[in-house]
Amino acid sequence: MPSTSLALTPGLASFLKSLKTNQIDTSIDNLISLLKRRQIRHSRSCATATAYLLLRVISACRTTDAVKLIERVQSVGRRLVAAQPREMVVGNIVRRVLGLIRDEAEDDREADFNLSEAGSESQPQTPRVPDDASDVPSTRLDGSTARTSLTSMFSLLSHPEPEPSLPGTPSSASPSGRVPGPSKDIRAEVMEGINEIIDELGQVDDQISAYALDHIHSNEIILTHTSSTTVQKFLLKAAAKRRFTVIIAESFPNNHEATHSTVSGASANDEETLSTESFQKPLIAMGITVILIPDSAVFALMSRVNKVILGTHSVLANGGLVAAAGTRVIARAAKVHQTPVVVVSGVYKLSPVYPFDFESLIEYGDASKVIGYEDGDLVDQIDVQNPLYDYVPAELVDLYITNLGGHAPSYLYRIVSDHYRKEDIHF
Amino acid sequence: MAPAPDSSKPFDIVATYNELLRSDPDLTMPIAAIEALVLLLTHSPSSTISETLDLLNKSTEHLKNSIPNPIGLSAGTDLFQRYLITTLQRPGQLGPAGDFNAIRAHLLSNGRLFIRRAKESRDKIAAFGRGFVRDGSTVLTNGGSRVVASLLQKAADEKGGPSAVRFRVIYVLSSSKNVESSPGAEPEGMETVRALREKGVPVATIPESAVAYALGKADMVIVGAEGVVENGGIVSRMGTYQIGLLAKAMSKPFYAVAESHKFVRLYPLGQYDLPIEQRVIDFKTEEEIADEAKQQPQETTTETTPKSVARNSCQSVDFTPPHLISALITDSGVLTPSAVSEELIKIWF
Repeated sequence: MPSTSLALTPGLASFLKSLKTNQIDTSIDNLISLLKRRQIRHSRSCATATAYLLLRVISACRTTDAVKLIERVQSVGRRLVAAQPREMVVGNIVRRVLGLIRDEAEDDREADFNLSEAGSESQPQTPRVPDDASDVPSTRLDGSTARTSLTSMFSLLSHPEPEPSLPGTPSSASPSGRVPGPSKDIRAEVMEGINEIIDELGQVDDQISAYALDHIHSNEIILTHTSSTTVQKFLLKAAAKRRFTVIIAESFPNNHEATHSTVSGASANDEETLSTESFQKPLIAMGITVILIPDSAVFALMSRVNKVILGTHSVLANGGLVAAAGTRVIARAAKVHQTPVVVVSGVYKLSPVYPFDFESLIEYGDASKVIGYEDGDLVDQIDVQNPLYDYVPAELVDLYITNLGGHAPSYLYRIVSDHYRKEDIHF
Repeated sequence: MAPAPDSSKPFDIVATYNELLRSDPDLTMPIAAIEALVLLLTHSPSSTISETLDLLNKSTEHLKNSIPNPIGLSAGTDLFQRYLITTLQRPGQLGPAGDFNAIRAHLLSNGRLFIRRAKESRDKIAAFGRGFVRDGSTVLTNGGSRVVASLLQKAADEKGGPSAVRFRVIYVLSSSKNVESSPGAEPEGMETVRALREKGVPVATIPESAVAYALGKADMVIVGAEGVVENGGIVSRMGTYQIGLLAKAMSKPFYAVAESHKFVRLYPLGQYDLPIEQRVIDFKTEEEIADEAKQQPQETTTETTPKSVARNSCQSVDFTPPHLISALITDSGVLTPSAVSEELIKIWF
């Protein structure tokens, strides 16, 4: 029932269009069903849809109370995540929005706190925890950054009053406990923040590609896989200045159609992924030699490759990543040949989820892509599987390039703690 | 440097430390060290900051010198000292402008609280770590780590609950050498084995020599640690390193579980770079054995220092380098080994 009124095929475009006119609850249901039916896929589309939806949710939420706002976003976020748990970007965006609300609420409260502190809070003898107001840098650090990252080892010895062993409660509970008073509407600031996230989603590829010249050198042979726009832009940027060869593995059952339907090729697809065909054209136009190979040839060619550049579906907190099926084979082959593996990914794909169970992260797609139903006899007798994703462990990756720069896989935990608040990790 | 014998003070920090460890089996070495220092402050009415710091320095040094393996406890004493110094340096009520007695009073009055927090952090770790124990998985573990025990028991507690975890445990029990030294004693970890079996978790116990054989049946390795060093490696009971190597070779995830107060500012470059003396590899000829046998009776009569006795019976440790560790499960979350140095830097600089 949702989105049927629109002539467009259901997808990101139709969703964004309907978002303006539809009721907020209809929009939420709409996105949930789109996610469930996989009509919105690919990390960026999901992220964009989530961000726009939350923007609507917040603007429609008639409350100035940060706690209620957080609860609202959490409940919407939970439903979205439940709809498609493997699209981890949805959860990431929800967490970032929650973080935004908490930051704003805390800023508010802090201003409040500094004023009232002299009067009400300070008991004469009780030593306060050292990270009190008075010195500006440490307040900033302890108030927002340090808490989001890791609790300090000092929490063991610190004073009992602030009770650091209760994460989450101070920020979420105290604004409600305190008389809200004439607290200003934080929604405007939160919405501004969400708009920044949306801007970030739009710019991420260009920001990443700014690092291209540092990593791609003349006459190198680069191997890549699938048709990620991030990788494409990265290569294009380098191609403007350098001459190199690109080997593309076609990624058979799920991303190869574009290659095989040679004529129709560059479909006007506004989704994130371009077909492999349209991927090649601009590169060739830039004077780059492009070689298309089947996935099975990856190992054979790896000895000649200087660098492997991979796109990804999502990146996990331990430095591993979930990417299109076939990525692990490539990463593994690269490891055997000691070829550096570079993963390009926007920070929005970085998920604080720890992969306890790798198998649960992998989505299985249409089995008929592997073996068509024409081969009915065969289909009856064998079990056909078509995994869409691969889990690549951190040790197979040498470098991540995000819009913030290059990072070692072991450093990702730091970026995670910078972007998500601890209390939101399991929202 | 050995400080002057503590004859002037009736308070014996070493005895206090040992007593604390003995009286509460749940106490970890760093926490016992912190407790001992707190008690020391109670007993010594020092009034100035530098006097206090000096006293702490001396006692710490003394304590470290008298304990055969001071790696674990040095985490506690260092943390305590750093806490004192940073608090004093920070502006604010407890800072230089503030009252030194305030911080003293805080430390003295909250000794129990620190212990409670340290124990709570174990529960926290158990909560973090529960996610690692999956349904149908088999966990290999070793030693008598209390954190690992509480983690596994927490996972087992959920049995019958809404999120029941059905898992099996392969428990590596240390070889009989331990039992020999104190006859009648059972190998370390038996208690946990019993507790787990009581909860309905199937537990298999294997000797250390069977680790490679058994690892094929295990899905992951979870070990405890005595100290977590700066590069993210762990100092742990002898035998952990080889389990780590085997787990790596078989590409099984290897998780170390430790409270964050066990982080030590040490940077060992290898097994033999630990600041403790261990007589694990002891080359001898027949002649030397004969010599020793001659000396032995005299030595025992003249000097029965608790030190030498302790050194023999004490568990030796090894160092597991960070590249073997998949993740550290601590009370501040699941960390990659490289996150440890950041935690340490945060308190040191």
